[in-house]
Amino acid sequence: MERVVQVLRALLRRALGEDARDPPALVDVIIESAAEPRLWAHFSNGYRTSAPLLPQDCFAFCERHGAWDVESLRLALLGEGRLAYARMLEERAEMRERQGRTWVSEQMRRLGRGIAQTLRPRQDTLRFPVFGAGRAYLDERRSEAHERGMRLLKENLTATQLQQYSRYGYFEVIGGRTGKRYRIRHGRSMNIDQLDKNGRRVCGWCFFPEGNLVTGDVMLAQKVALELFETDALKIANKMW
Amino acid sequence: MSVQIVMDRSGDTRHEFDVTDARAVALAERRFKELTGKGFRAVALTKDGDQGRLLGRFDPQVEETLFIPQLQGG
Repeated sequence: MERVVQVLRALLRRALGEDARDPPALVDVIIESAAEPRLWAHFSNGYRTSAPLLPQDCFAFCERHGAWDVESLRLALLGEGRLAYARMLEERAEMRERQGRTWVSEQMRRLGRGIAQTLRPRQDTLRFPVFGAGRAYLDERRSEAHERGMRLLKENLTATQLQQYSRYGYFEVIGGRTGKRYRIRHGRSMNIDQLDKNGRRVCGWCFFPEGNLVTGDVMLAQKVALELFETDALKIANKMW
Repeated sequence: MSVQIVMDRSGDTRHEFDVTDARAVALAERRFKELTGKGFRAVALTKDGDQGRLLGRFDPQVEETLFIPQLQGG
């Protein structure tokens, strides 16, 4: 690349650095001939910048473009400058798009991690306002019940189900009557998915035992119901598409 | 020893009884009938989490019986 073009690109980069959000248009490029020639670039926002050139660099450029008067030289420089500037703007737009894609994929990754966390078994919390010592007492009681329920559930899962539940927050059950596959997700309602042979969700089912039971109990009741009295359970359940 | 596990709001309540003790067995049978009369389902649990067995009548030989309250749709 010619030295003049290199200098010109350096000047254009300066302009892009000056106004990163809204890059100005390149208006003019001139060579100021004095004791030491300087290359100047003018932009639409009034920004001007310059850099020194060597006489032999100017000569090489003039020779290549056949520009031996000031006006021809200006037009040649401006043409070269606009071309280089357009390329730089394109590159910058592509880079921003890539950064944007990276940002989006990062957000998606975080979102995925968040969903995985919500599916993971967690402590039940009270859903009604209780304050002071009373709340602490109820929280403790609720927490004990929750732990007892979870213990009962885990004691009655197969090794595979337990592994699934620990890893993904759900486990799969085969319907005792129909042989259909169900996925019971951590939760107390609207947490049963019926799956097809490829593991895709066909529909959802919602049923649970009466009595405002803790999560572990509810999930165990759902597992046992699907295994032992599937038809009765689904008759009671609400189907969700 | 056998145990009857009743699901409730405290997680579960366990009632252990000695199968050689006639009075304890009678009490367990009465509990079984009361609970199933209220709509609870009695299930004989297995050790390894495999499919259990639905109990239509009291069986003192079942080591662990789980009582599940009546189901409701959500």
